[in-house]
Amino acid sequence: MTELIERPDTAADTPTVELSMQQAINRALRDLLTEDPDVLVFGEDVGTLGGVFRVTDGLQKEFGDRRVFDTPLAESAIMGMSVGLAMNGWRPVPELQFDGFAYPAIDQIVNQVARMNYRTRGATPMPITLRLPSFGGIQAPEHHGESLEALFAHTPGLKVAAPSDPADAYSLLLQSVRSDDPVVYMEPKSRYWDRRPVQLREPSDPIGTSRVVRPGRHATLIAWGAMVHRCQQVAELAAEDGVDLEVLDLRWLKPIDAAGLAASVSRTRRAVVVHEAPLTAGLGAEVASLVTENCFRDLAAPVQRVTGFDVPYPAGPLEPQYLPTIDRVLLAVQRTLEY
Amino acid sequence: MAEENITFALPDLGEGLVEATVLEWQVAVGETVERNAPLVEVETTKSAVVIPSPKEGRIVELHADEDQVVPVGDPLVTFAVRAEDAPQAGIVGRVPDEEPRPARRVRLKPPTD
Repeated sequence: MTELIERPDTAADTPTVELSMQQAINRALRDLLTEDPDVLVFGEDVGTLGGVFRVTDGLQKEFGDRRVFDTPLAESAIMGMSVGLAMNGWRPVPELQFDGFAYPAIDQIVNQVARMNYRTRGATPMPITLRLPSFGGIQAPEHHGESLEALFAHTPGLKVAAPSDPADAYSLLLQSVRSDDPVVYMEPKSRYWDRRPVQLREPSDPIGTSRVVRPGRHATLIAWGAMVHRCQQVAELAAEDGVDLEVLDLRWLKPIDAAGLAASVSRTRRAVVVHEAPLTAGLGAEVASLVTENCFRDLAAPVQRVTGFDVPYPAGPLEPQYLPTIDRVLLAVQRTLEY
Repeated sequence: MAEENITFALPDLGEGLVEATVLEWQVAVGETVERNAPLVEVETTKSAVVIPSPKEGRIVELHADEDQVVPVGDPLVTFAVRAEDAPQAGIVGRVPDEEPRPARRVRLKPPTD
């Protein structure tokens, strides 16, 4: 078992640097490879090429091809190998190159990764972090724009993270890899190039904590991944109309921060949850249910959902029509205000 | 400093417009333009609008003369940007466009309570 190591809080003397989300994840991987010799990074094209999104750029050169390596194009084998490595004391950080290619590995993820520790009564933890470039927004072909969070959040034994900006991408990845539980870490592809000043810091909030990225008083917009940015755009536009929206970044989709959701919505009394995945049985339903259970007496309106449609993720040119638009979110906000 | 050329195409300026006429360039080849600074004034069938620069960089080429009609999606201007700032899409997909100011049609009424 991993022993608990005291880590000094270095946030105060960490300089602010300008980084894209790609670079922030790269830094996190480099810091993890440095701090723990058991960490291994592997997947299709992550070694020699440095990843199709440059996320693992330079890591093989720095840490060698025994710790950062390419695999065959076989997702089930990548996850099966992760299980074997974890059983033998390693801390694997596999990448499945695109969300849609998690499906060929689903048997290993659901039947082995998620259950091994349960099956062996806690004797065989699976400290695996599956890095999964996720969601749409880059006009990629089929299988390259899926939102699988509901599937993974519904699978007992898995934790699910979906950061929305470079700073969280860094600290959530540190938390995920250091966790002895398997984590599906969903990277919002359309935000990879988002550059901003970042203070790289040790995680300060426990796993399963949400974050208010913009405080407001009239309604709470709830999102994760790339939709946090969309909700921030909506909140800025709503402010021009005198409507003050709070934006809550859920960050962790399993466990979900029920207390954080309740604290926000009890104050604002209205909630709109926004996700890219299709509506039916999406995670928005879970969020709406938690809010209703915990804030029933405070709610001024039913929780609204703004989501993708119940169709397969469309080809590139139709993407702007599929993803929640600014106007669709604004209309949902208006419905809660008028109810 | 390594530089990289990036070409910016005329975006759809709203509601399915197919073309715009260049009225006046507000930059010249060789000038350095800041992100969000005025780039060019164009006229569509709806209105005249100033397009802000999506990048910080040096203007390498203007692809249309004044009074010329440019179809949506055709190249408008090419910038040289610092290579480290040049986003690379990789093998699949493309880097999403920056939205200097997101478009909207829905207006909100603040709640009375």
